[in-house]
Amino acid sequence: MSTALIDPTLNNTPLPAVPAATPLGARFAAAWAAAGTRCALPVVVLLAAGFLAPLVAIFAYSFAPPRSFEVFRAFTFANYAELFSLENTVWLSFAWSIGFALLTCAVLAVVAYPIAYGMVFLFGRWSSLVSVLFVFPLFVSENVRLYGWVLFFIKNGVLDGSLKWLGLGGAPTVLYTPGVILAGMVYTYLPFMLFPLTLGLSMVPRDLIDAARDLGANRFQIWREVEVPLAMPGILIGMLLTFVLAIGAVSEAKILGGQSVIVISHDIEIAFTYAQNWPLGSALAVLVTAFIGALTLAVFAKLDLDRLLGRR
Amino acid sequence: MEQDKLRTRVLIAGWTTFVVLLVYLPIACVALASFTKARYFAFPVRAFSTEWWEKTADSIEISMIVQNSLLVAAVVTVFSVVIAFFGALAFARYDWTGRRLYQKLILLPVFFPQPVLGLALLLAYSALGISTSWMTAVFAHMVWIVPVVTLIIAIKVYGFDPTLEEAAFDLGASRLKVMTHVTLPLLWPGIWSGALFAFLLSWGNFPLSLYTAGADSTVPKWLYAKMVAGYTPMVPALGTMATLAAAAVLLGGGLVGLIMKKARAA
Amino acid sequence: MTDLKDRKPILQLVGVRKTFNDFAAVEKIDLDIFEGEFFTIVGPSGSGKTTMLRMLAGMEAPSEGNITLHGERINDVPANKRPTCLVFQSLALFPHMSVGQNIEFPLKIKGVDAASRKARALELMAIVRLPASYYGKNVMKCSGGERQRVALARALAYDPEVLFFDEPLSAIDYKLKKVLEKELKDLHRETGKTFIYITHSLEEAMVMSDRIGVMRAGRLVQVGTPEEIYAAPVDRFVSEFVGEVNVIEVTRAGEGWQGVDVPGAFRAAAPHDQPQAHSAFVVIRPEYMRFLKDGEAADNMLEGVVYNEYSLGSRIQYQVRVGEKVMLVELSRANALPAAANRNVRLGWDVADAISVKA
Repeated sequence: MSTALIDPTLNNTPLPAVPAATPLGARFAAAWAAAGTRCALPVVVLLAAGFLAPLVAIFAYSFAPPRSFEVFRAFTFANYAELFSLENTVWLSFAWSIGFALLTCAVLAVVAYPIAYGMVFLFGRWSSLVSVLFVFPLFVSENVRLYGWVLFFIKNGVLDGSLKWLGLGGAPTVLYTPGVILAGMVYTYLPFMLFPLTLGLSMVPRDLIDAARDLGANRFQIWREVEVPLAMPGILIGMLLTFVLAIGAVSEAKILGGQSVIVISHDIEIAFTYAQNWPLGSALAVLVTAFIGALTLAVFAKLDLDRLLGRR
Repeated sequence: MEQDKLRTRVLIAGWTTFVVLLVYLPIACVALASFTKARYFAFPVRAFSTEWWEKTADSIEISMIVQNSLLVAAVVTVFSVVIAFFGALAFARYDWTGRRLYQKLILLPVFFPQPVLGLALLLAYSALGISTSWMTAVFAHMVWIVPVVTLIIAIKVYGFDPTLEEAAFDLGASRLKVMTHVTLPLLWPGIWSGALFAFLLSWGNFPLSLYTAGADSTVPKWLYAKMVAGYTPMVPALGTMATLAAAAVLLGGGLVGLIMKKARAA
Repeated sequence: MTDLKDRKPILQLVGVRKTFNDFAAVEKIDLDIFEGEFFTIVGPSGSGKTTMLRMLAGMEAPSEGNITLHGERINDVPANKRPTCLVFQSLALFPHMSVGQNIEFPLKIKGVDAASRKARALELMAIVRLPASYYGKNVMKCSGGERQRVALARALAYDPEVLFFDEPLSAIDYKLKKVLEKELKDLHRETGKTFIYITHSLEEAMVMSDRIGVMRAGRLVQVGTPEEIYAAPVDRFVSEFVGEVNVIEVTRAGEGWQGVDVPGAFRAAAPHDQPQAHSAFVVIRPEYMRFLKDGEAADNMLEGVVYNEYSLGSRIQYQVRVGEKVMLVELSRANALPAAANRNVRLGWDVADAISVKA
């Protein structure tokens, strides 16, 4: 049976160290080593073609002559030179994006932590309903949701209209300011902070919180000494995910910011669309990717996903 | 002590309710705008009408893009679930060399800004001479939906006792029999929620569709185009319809899941 | 421990009740626990003993009644403000801290400086018999018994007046458990603190405790010294909880009793707390039951067939079918019954060796 289970084409795959001493266990382990590789294959092919290849493509494009489409045929550093030249203001877009991303992360951590805590420790059977309520907006295009905020904040919109109706005068102009862009990002990326935090906090056994309290710790000490260190993998993932997604965010600045602030992804888009300068856009995308990639890999190196996702 | 606990509970529940309300506030604003008679939204609404809903429902252009969106979401769901099912087994079930690396690689597309991913795919298509259409959008959606669905199913796989499969093998079942009689039925709830996620995430996706669907429009793409230029109250009308459709799918899917669970328990 | 009357109560429960929604986990408990005693609460799972402990430790507040410590009401004093400390069933060791950091945790919370913390931790490690080299060891790399000691040292570092234990030995193998039970008993004597221990194993309770409280369905059914519980169980539940026993249901018939679930007339004492009872259970421990030789007589006798024998090491247990009922007889190996299988036997016991409990 065991030979039939092993795909002959994968026989050369090195087997992992098998702790099981029984021949039956060893045979199963060998079969599964092969099965694991085979099961991973479709995903790996998909990601190689759909994720790695495009990254290679932008990398290649970034070395093509400016404003050309001559990928793989010519090689030049001109695009990077342009990005790093002193008169180029792309650094400003980068700064905006990083600033927004950092603030989004910080605000979301504060907003989402109590909710995640409630979902793990307090809400009981209500927490699945709360999860659904927070997941659902992910299925509504962010444009629609952000447009809802426009309707809320716009002159004669819901806020302005209500205030006038109450005789309190009009609402202050918040639309098209950096503040509302930040609010939009906080709004859009809430689930991406909330769910990793929930996952992280669910790794904190309730007993440990009780024990810490029993040993004299107050709420803050419990939080600092027990909750945060143990929920750290979830907190890290949530922070990373929101930071990275916020770096690439563009809808908030376009819809709520009315293009008053140009973020980095917007710059990339402009290069690809209006400017028709794909190589420059690619060079910019390569920088963003390198930044995000370095950050992501650095955080991933510290994570044990098996523990986080609940392998026993 | 009880008072302290109660106060924490009330504070956190209050905060959660407040945030939930904020989350749904703009969606409610959009719904409100879709029912105004006036061409431009003003609050308080003076006259309500279903005129824009009717126009939206009657529009041939909109029925085309809804069909596109449905087609994309359906195809994405089928492919994603199949690939992600095996991907989840590799993620959580089997021990194999390279598993830890694989677990992290599979997350990368999720940790990547979608507008940039969309543009990168556009570039790759162009470099390979592939013309963009709804089919290329399907592929683009899969690049980030497959990892998400893989994670959803993987969580279920973690809770699955591998000795059940061993026992089935030991009792003489073939590999296929084990899959259809043991593995699939036990992982079914995870697969079902994975499928719901795949469908709904694809249905609501904008940044990937924007660059990779070519001339074929999808609902979010059309909404964005009209928001930027050529606003009509059909925008909030279609936005609300799309939201309601998503809610209906989620509700229906959840209900089916619940019924299946009950049926199995009985 | 015989002079309990001279002792001052430290913890008192008066009419304590705890309900969750409509379910009463703990019903109207009155109990005094004395300073320095080792008190064990025993009961099957679901008997409410953990809820009771959580109320004592300050993790739940009673729904009704009062808990007092040194005469002061502490119902609403949270766990972190009580001079009590709980050793959890899971031990609840902080996995992200070393052995030393775990032990020092309560000291750190109190704001003790690092040098004194370490000195105290090493002292405590010596007391619980952990080598000093374990100070920096990852607590998750410790064995079950070592973790047990770390949890104990951590609780002692808090310097509580009362220590609670929630079945901390339940996951430990038998041999080590025996060692740790004795160590815990020694530690109790050395520290002089009040220990309140919870377990489902009466055997564990008997070894360590000064007094035992038996819980069932949220009620404290009997409180007494191990000897009292063993010799005079208050009802059938407690007697069965003490170990494997033979129980015969009887009703009054004239001067004696008539069997209900086994045929025959029996001589037995009435339940000591209900001399007028009309029905009762007669409890006979397997070691007091004996096989009667031909012509030999006992106060009470039954006829049956041996259908199984088990080795209990130095003793042998026989299962004897008497009508519909199975009776247990335990003999030392030296007195083993030859050719026991399917043998027709007569069982006998004396009135003095049986206990009657109320129905």
